[in-house]
Amino acid sequence: MAKRLLLIGTVALLATVVASVAVAQKNVDLEFWVGASVSEAGPPPDNWRAYQIVRDRLGINWKIVLLPSTLGDQDTKINAAAAANNLPDLFQVNRDAWYKLAKAGLLAPVDSLLTAMPVRTMTHYDDVVARKMVTLNKVMYGLPEPGQMPMTDGFVVRKDWLDKLGLKEPKNLDEFMTVAKAFTERDPDGNGKADTYGFGAYLESSGLQQAGLGLRFEWVFGAFGVAGTWNTQDAKSFGLNARKSEFLKALQFIKGMVDAKIMDPDWNILKKDEYRARWKQGRWGMMHENFAALSTVANYKDFDKNFPNGLWVAPPPPVGPEGKSAENVLLKNVRVQAISQRAAKAGKLGAIAKLLEWMAHDEGYILLGFGYEGEHFKRDKNGNITVEGIPAEKQWTAKAQQPFTQLRNLVFINTDVELKARYVPFKTNNGRLQDPLAYWNAFRSYPYTDSTGAAIINPPANAADFVRYYSENVMKFVVGQQPLDEKSWTDWVAGLDKLGAKELEAAAKAALTEAGFLD
Amino acid sequence: MARRFGARYEVGFQVAVDAFLALVLAVVAVPLLRVIVTSVAPLSPEGIPGFAFLVTPWRWTFEAYRQLLGHRSFLNAAYISVVVTIGGTALNLVLTMLLAYALSVRTLPGRPFFSFLILVPFLFNPGLIPTYLVVTRLGLIDKLWAIILPTAINITNTFIMRNFFAALPEELKEAARMDGAGDWHIVLRIIPPLARPIILTIGLYYAVGHWNEFFAPILYLNNAKLQPLPVLLRNILLAANLNEYVEYDAYSAAPVQALKAASVIITTLPMALIYPWIQRYFTKGTLAGGIKG
Repeated sequence: MAKRLLLIGTVALLATVVASVAVAQKNVDLEFWVGASVSEAGPPPDNWRAYQIVRDRLGINWKIVLLPSTLGDQDTKINAAAAANNLPDLFQVNRDAWYKLAKAGLLAPVDSLLTAMPVRTMTHYDDVVARKMVTLNKVMYGLPEPGQMPMTDGFVVRKDWLDKLGLKEPKNLDEFMTVAKAFTERDPDGNGKADTYGFGAYLESSGLQQAGLGLRFEWVFGAFGVAGTWNTQDAKSFGLNARKSEFLKALQFIKGMVDAKIMDPDWNILKKDEYRARWKQGRWGMMHENFAALSTVANYKDFDKNFPNGLWVAPPPPVGPEGKSAENVLLKNVRVQAISQRAAKAGKLGAIAKLLEWMAHDEGYILLGFGYEGEHFKRDKNGNITVEGIPAEKQWTAKAQQPFTQLRNLVFINTDVELKARYVPFKTNNGRLQDPLAYWNAFRSYPYTDSTGAAIINPPANAADFVRYYSENVMKFVVGQQPLDEKSWTDWVAGLDKLGAKELEAAAKAALTEAGFLD
Repeated sequence: MARRFGARYEVGFQVAVDAFLALVLAVVAVPLLRVIVTSVAPLSPEGIPGFAFLVTPWRWTFEAYRQLLGHRSFLNAAYISVVVTIGGTALNLVLTMLLAYALSVRTLPGRPFFSFLILVPFLFNPGLIPTYLVVTRLGLIDKLWAIILPTAINITNTFIMRNFFAALPEELKEAARMDGAGDWHIVLRIIPPLARPIILTIGLYYAVGHWNEFFAPILYLNNAKLQPLPVLLRNILLAANLNEYVEYDAYSAAPVQALKAASVIITTLPMALIYPWIQRYFTKGTLAGGIKG
């Protein structure tokens, strides 16, 4: 009897071992190269619950590699891997690099995957424009994850300075200059020193879509009706805004700002962090800023400490001579997740779809987006994310917990629940309630120049030279290194044509017309 | 009269030399001082960190150092950097010495051919992709060897060392051979004590290169636990900089400029401490290797 029991036990044990080995052998290995949400925090820990769930329930051995911190380094790593035919199964890639890889045939078509992940397709990939951004020859070669929130940047003014000087929010460009001069010359901070300026900015262009001075000056171009590199209003007027006479007028207005010395003189050499350090130190009273960089508790605290009674308000952007205005251009922004042809050939598409779909359901979404429920966050009766009752160092927003949510960019889709959890209202030093989303809502209520179609304009081979020529000469115009008049401006446009502007416009127009963006 | 003129000339010359050297010192010291001051400057409405050259005792903070040194991955990253620097430099020196010695032996059959052969990759750098392919095919991805082996031998350093070895008295090697020493014995036992200046000099070159290694790790090392110090410091700086995407109070306790300056100090300090220790060999080593070809 004992021998029989021993035999049965041994057989059962062996069966379990064989079964578990078989399950392990069935598991698919997937390697994802993803951008870190917080570059310094490192990947999720080895004992992360998501690994275990994915392994045991989805049959996937999931390996996560965090890409380098900058886009340039990411491109280098991906291009090197592509050249060695060593691309991972799924990877995040910027659109210019994606375009080259897709043309080289290194990416797998993903159209068929969409039906295999219905929830994710509905919540992540239902945007027609976003899909067009990852489509080449009518085939989707990438998954367009919802990127940064739209309309996040706008024109803001120091209300405490306006009140001190008895001024009102500027409604048009003339009033802007009046207020800017007062902020520069009338000591709005009352420290007895001539150390303030009307306006602060830095150069933040983004390639072909927003060449030249970049988004911190788009409100000026918007006031003249020429925000953004491209005019995508209709087929008839489609082309580079630089060809329009209003563009020259906008440049002349900005040159007037420089000549009047109402701008921080370092504006064209400031880096982003220096720019943000300066407004926190009270250097200027008007600027164009990102709502989160301006108003979240982490970003506001230095300004709050220095100026407890300081207050930035978000009025409508000043209107131009013909009554036009725009906070910025409205560009489509997606994070492209591409799947390698190598992964497709290895038969991994099904497993990739299964994993991505799991992330779009509540379990995966919550786990990747906010960490462990009950340990890092709680949900209130309305389903909102809250950290009430969670020790500070354990909260999902705490520094130590960032590895648990490093992949939140793969699940966040900018829902109300997410935004409320991410941008929490707080009290400033003087007891005022500051709500970051109030700034965002204000920005969103003002006009933007729609340029979403520009997102699908593919870069020409000489894109870098084109953008460099464009941007360098715009800078020379406004700082007075070359004259800014009808002739010099016409010569500059002719220079753009020599670099293939007309061919680029024709190709862009054809692409936008085919995609249904132009009538 | 002539003697007095000569004395005046000497004094004048000395003053000019001193003034010139003081200027050179200022050119070196002022940026360094600025970096040090910036690294301890607080964010305040009165002054932008890094734009003051003097720090007052009541307005300084070690917050930036606290953030960098207190990072939970700092010790691991520093450990990786030390391992790569010590291990890589040791390998560099052994391989460079062996190659340099072989090329310094005039009776080596095919010596001009071998010299030409190693010059080819020096003149025609294979570039990123071929190197990546070699590293991949050797199975070195995610191994520290990936950042040590591809730079195991530097051709310039090899030629400097070869020249140094070639300048050593032939009689010494002859005497060793007469005592029964072979080439291995000569290169490992006889030459190192004589070549200490060149070994330390070139060792410093190699060590600085490994200590500052940034590009190869981000290319070849996918495992975050293998990332060395420069990669970690860059990640910290970028996290502090991307403040529109970081919606919580995690990374901005120190100004970004202070973090940058502190990271410069932290990465420079080990090499700056080592340098004086081998400085007395440095000039001798570089010149001795560079004069005779």
